[in-house]
Amino acid sequence: MSPVVADPDVVDLVDALFSAQSARQDSSPSASSDVRLDTDFWAQLESLGLTRLTGDVASGGSGGSWLESAALLAAAARHSVPVPVVEHDLLAGWLREEAGLAPSTRLSTACVLDLDGTADDVPWAGDAEEIVALWESEGRWLVASFDAAECHVTTSRNVAGEPRGTVRIDPASPSAHEVSSSLAGLFFHRGALARAVQSAAVLQEAVRLSVEHVATRTQFGRPLAAFQAVQQLIASSAAESALCSAAVDSAIVHAVRDGWRDPDLAVRIAVARSCAAEATAVVVANAHQVHGAIGTTMEHRLHRLTLPALGWRTEFGTPHHWDEMLTEHAVQAGPDGLWSLILGSAT
Amino acid sequence: MAADPTERPATSSRRPGLVPDVVDEPEQLTRLRHEVRAFITDQISSGAFVPVVDGWLTAWDPTFSRALAERHWIGMTIPRAYGGHGRSFMERFVVTEELLAAGAPVAAHWIADRQIAPSLLRSGTEDQKHRFLPRIAQGDCFFGIGMSEPDAGSDLASVRTRADRVDGGWRVRGTKVWTSGAHRAEAFFVLARTEPADPANRHGGLTQFIVDLRSPGVQVKPIVSMSGLAHFNEVHLDDVFVPDELVLGRPGSGWAQVTSELGFERSGPERFLSSFPLLTAVVREVASGELPAVPDLGRMVARLAALHQMSMAVSWALEHGGRADVSAAVVKLLGTTAEGRVVELADRLGAQTLRPSSGPPVDELTRQALMSRPGFTLRGGANEILHGVIARGLGMR
Repeated sequence: MSPVVADPDVVDLVDALFSAQSARQDSSPSASSDVRLDTDFWAQLESLGLTRLTGDVASGGSGGSWLESAALLAAAARHSVPVPVVEHDLLAGWLREEAGLAPSTRLSTACVLDLDGTADDVPWAGDAEEIVALWESEGRWLVASFDAAECHVTTSRNVAGEPRGTVRIDPASPSAHEVSSSLAGLFFHRGALARAVQSAAVLQEAVRLSVEHVATRTQFGRPLAAFQAVQQLIASSAAESALCSAAVDSAIVHAVRDGWRDPDLAVRIAVARSCAAEATAVVVANAHQVHGAIGTTMEHRLHRLTLPALGWRTEFGTPHHWDEMLTEHAVQAGPDGLWSLILGSAT
Repeated sequence: MAADPTERPATSSRRPGLVPDVVDEPEQLTRLRHEVRAFITDQISSGAFVPVVDGWLTAWDPTFSRALAERHWIGMTIPRAYGGHGRSFMERFVVTEELLAAGAPVAAHWIADRQIAPSLLRSGTEDQKHRFLPRIAQGDCFFGIGMSEPDAGSDLASVRTRADRVDGGWRVRGTKVWTSGAHRAEAFFVLARTEPADPANRHGGLTQFIVDLRSPGVQVKPIVSMSGLAHFNEVHLDDVFVPDELVLGRPGSGWAQVTSELGFERSGPERFLSSFPLLTAVVREVASGELPAVPDLGRMVARLAALHQMSMAVSWALEHGGRADVSAAVVKLLGTTAEGRVVELADRLGAQTLRPSSGPPVDELTRQALMSRPGFTLRGGANEILHGVIARGLGMR
């Protein structure tokens, strides 16, 4: 029995990379909060095998697990470096492998189409060169990869200025591959867990930034850190952020240990997302409170942590969705199964 | 963020986390859970106990304690040489979790098993270990703790109980409060001042004593809680003689001895499961349609599941030699708040006056829990103290 952790070499590598990229971003600040992809940096990630970190080695991937992927997502999030790794690797790349499609190095995103061939709020839809779509047709689930030029994309942005878009595709694709009907659920859960990993990382960083700020900002002749009321705000944030990380880490450990088809994984992900939602509420509010008015400005770094947390909180499922799902599980488990539900169904 | 150097980086970050990494439960522990669960089911169906809220504090049942001892589930971590069972802290952790989740009456042996045995192992003499540990493991020797005083609540270093040297031992004089079970236990640990208070070194000059509660000069007075129950006591020590062989550890190092055990005391499952039997009762009523299936219930499930992971991770780190004062404070702060939220949820749904469909009475449990709730976030370090511990861990004080 011991903690399950990512390969430390990967962890160190990605932190150094994103830290350097963050410094480059800061040297040419933008007047707008709109997030843009640095294609040179993306090419650098690709040359290091990080854009398909979890891809099968046989098809050009790096064969990493979700532990390493989580380390990558966390590093990108806490350094506020926007990269479509979730979309390109964990969703599009994974869907291609599941469907037996040829791998592609072109920047990709992925979505689940509704019956009209439409998907809303598709991340990085306007930047992607290819869109891997999953849809249901006459009781069969199909996957195909489309050249972005073949798709109708209306771009938008989420609250953090990250690119999103509505995608419309005519899915009468001759090259569609049939896949298991469970893939739509898995797609949703993978996206949900990835957003939880990213959220946990920005919340940790917002706490760190808060600690740093109150140590240096002086008011009434004392650093803010000397005031108990301020200490309490930050201690509460730190505690919530730690609980969120524990829930997220435990879902990842579960996914790595039992695989994505384990029925209990959905519960672990719901737990992670519910705790992340709660932590987002506390940490975002308290981090802004201790930073004072300066923390609300475009110039200050804080919004590049707090706004993504707020945006991600309702992507791939709202907090309400996860809480309701857990309520249903609790009711199904009943009084005799409640404790096992909390521990994980294996126990 | 600053953190204990013994704590490893979190899985999702290379930075040291405030709390140690989550651990994966091996099958052998899961099997142990099933053994305990089977035992509990038998006990409940034979009428040996009815699940209660706060059973580790209020439900004193020596028969149940002895039944646990027969299965070697008390004194699990005491080495075999001292009559214990040489099991790991993680094994004790899962047994404890199962008992608390079921609302079992574990108060009689609780203090002896959780605090006294580890303290004796760490600071006790060979004679003290042989004298108490085998009987603790047999469920025959129950203990209390004498730390707080009428004028020393959260500020423990300001205790005024004093012990003066006399021939062959010490004479102890003072008043301890909130000593649970003192009216039924055999002995208690008393923290007393053995040197005059020094404002420059507030934590110096304190010593721990093992005081037999049947000694001449000991007077135990019940403190009746608002529930009408009296599990706490005020213990007056009127020149009570304590022989040298019952001094615990070194005179003057009482503070270090007391605080060294706080990680275990603050991170355990009793810090998030005290009100769990009420949540189980609420789920029974929701499942039978008597109470609405609200999302707050799912939110509660999520929080408790994460707290379980966190509490287990801290226990693992403690067992492997880390000090975990800060992470234990995080568990206790969030866990005891969550315990209160369970009560809040039940009460908002109307459980206080709900006639139960079956099983333990949900209305009675809700009322008990409403009265126990203020204590959740006070005992063993009030939340305001824990905020301070965490702030210090983050380098803010």
